[in-house]
Amino acid sequence: MAQLTLDNVTKTFQDDDGEIIAVDNVSVDIEDGEFLCVVGPSGCGKSTTLRMIAGLEDITSGEIRLGGQIINDQPPARRNVAMVFQSYALYPHMTVRENMAFGLEESTDMPDSEIDQRVEEATKMLGIFDLIDRKPGELSGGQQQRVALGRAIVRDPEVFLMDEPLANLDAKLKAEMRTELQHLQEDLDVTTVYVTHDQTEAMTMSDRIAILNDGILQQCATPLECYHEPNNLFVAGFIGEPSMNFFPTTREGTTLRADRFEYELGDETAAAVSETTNVTLGIRPEDIELADSTAAVNTFEAVVDVVEPRGNENTAHLQFDADADEQFTMTVDGMTSLKSGQRISVAFPEEAIHLFDTGSGEAIRNRTLDEIETVESVV
Amino acid sequence: MSTGTRDYVEELRDMDNSRIGLYAVLLFGIVFYLFPVETAVMTMFKTQGEFARTLPFAPPSADGFTLSALATAWNTLRPGLLNSLVMAIPATIMSALLGSLTAYGLTTISWRGQVGVVVFIIAGIFIPYQAVLVPLAQFWYQILPGLLNGFVNTVFGFITGGDWAYPSRNGYVQLFQLSITHGAYGIPICTLLFRSYYQAISDEMIEAARLDGASAFSIYRNIILPLSLPMFAVTLIYQFTQVYNDLLFALVLVNEPAAQVATQRLAALTGGVVQSFNTTMAGAIVAAFPTLLVYIVFGEQFAKGVAGEN
Repeated sequence: MAQLTLDNVTKTFQDDDGEIIAVDNVSVDIEDGEFLCVVGPSGCGKSTTLRMIAGLEDITSGEIRLGGQIINDQPPARRNVAMVFQSYALYPHMTVRENMAFGLEESTDMPDSEIDQRVEEATKMLGIFDLIDRKPGELSGGQQQRVALGRAIVRDPEVFLMDEPLANLDAKLKAEMRTELQHLQEDLDVTTVYVTHDQTEAMTMSDRIAILNDGILQQCATPLECYHEPNNLFVAGFIGEPSMNFFPTTREGTTLRADRFEYELGDETAAAVSETTNVTLGIRPEDIELADSTAAVNTFEAVVDVVEPRGNENTAHLQFDADADEQFTMTVDGMTSLKSGQRISVAFPEEAIHLFDTGSGEAIRNRTLDEIETVESVV
Repeated sequence: MSTGTRDYVEELRDMDNSRIGLYAVLLFGIVFYLFPVETAVMTMFKTQGEFARTLPFAPPSADGFTLSALATAWNTLRPGLLNSLVMAIPATIMSALLGSLTAYGLTTISWRGQVGVVVFIIAGIFIPYQAVLVPLAQFWYQILPGLLNGFVNTVFGFITGGDWAYPSRNGYVQLFQLSITHGAYGIPICTLLFRSYYQAISDEMIEAARLDGASAFSIYRNIILPLSLPMFAVTLIYQFTQVYNDLLFALVLVNEPAAQVATQRLAALTGGVVQSFNTTMAGAIVAAFPTLLVYIVFGEQFAKGVAGEN
């Protein structure tokens, strides 16, 4: 077990048009036993980062250290990392047993009996012991996924690297495997770097999330921090489903002027943004409240466009004006009925709003949070 | 639905029609391809007189039946058949194995200047046999013996006394030279075939093997080689047929009668002044027999390889 450190890691690719920076000065410390999710849109450099840790890509500059040792120039096999690929990358001509034993046969001097024992243990842990003599072609997607995991587990590596391992599974199996993976990682207590484009996976599984965009690390923090205290517009928009509503505004004194509404800031909030004129107001859909009338401050009239029922809650797409293109979303309780075309009053509570500098995208003021409530355990 | 069953029946009827069509086409194919073979087989069992009297594809009558043509062909070709196998089998294996290794090095391992090497190898496919005949003969009969004689007599002069000579006239040496020539000449096409096959193999799987600690050679032996068996069947069949059927290189490189290959013997068999169709046909059938056998043995794998099944 070891701590994994990425220190100003940069990767550039040569292209016909010149240099493409895939990963730009990324620095992350991943603690021993930590589960870090690297998340970002397609092409943000998250897979490249993972492949650099694995040793499948050269590092243009910077350092990767594992347990204090620089592993930049070590070949993949010497790094003591195991990787699970999106396509599973199983060897189609080998049985489950052979697939899982291959790494141990190639990289260690372990006697066959011990290899066998470790493979069998791992298959039992993953619930695929019955399938041990089958070939990948005879297994379902979920089973293949387990074999791929097992292949990584038997190696007993210092770091697990996972490149969208659940992307090819159907929704239900994905949710199951998510829980199972979490359990597994906790039991094995192995440092894990998990790449995904799915922010739900990142939110639900990880100890910390590293959010990448255009090769630049936007934020690396716990899921709740990323959710409630995003560093910038990108993180705020990326984390959370449905995503945060943004309204570009111009500040005049303590008033934020948007296209369709004006927002009055309290003194404290106004003081925080006193140096910025172009302010983007952000508010999460679940923080928008239904109001009785538009009489109160920061309460606006809106027209319901489309309602998406989800059972536990409804997502409503709203417009300030029936003929405006600009939409925003709010979520309401599942039992609250909203109808398309209905005119309603909505309130943007001041403690729930996020303010960003429109130019740089940096967060100026995040929402204020109540203390996290802890639940008493039953003794 | 009331029309449901009727539609189904009609569908069945339609399907039957297409089946009949399919069988008709297949039957035509069988007749088209087997007719010449049948004619050859019938002819080789006929006497010269019977051949003149009957239709070429009709079976021989009781008096017109003879095995002498087959016996003549067999006796003439037999030493050639053995020589051909001794020469063609190693050449085929060499082409397939080296082609596979080259393709592996040019697809799954990445290094600088790969594309140039690929282009160079592919260009090798298009060099006609005729263009290399003279340099080939010069290489085997002048350049190589010259170099070897010089080397052996200089380094091992104390044993040979300086008068060792490369045995250019030895029949087996000539067969060996022919085998090496064919083996080398087959590498480009085999490389191309294997390369397209290997390009379809998932990169992630190779990367997984690298992470598993497998060396480049271990990846080849444990993963690439087992997965390329169907393509081996394709190259083995293709290359064996090519090498076995070649006459041009054999004529240039083999001039010892004892070392002549099947195609050379076949040419001798049919090259007489009087055309005796029965021995010619018997010779053709006997000479074609080994290639037929190869197709039968590797047929299933061949189909997989051609279909690109992994």
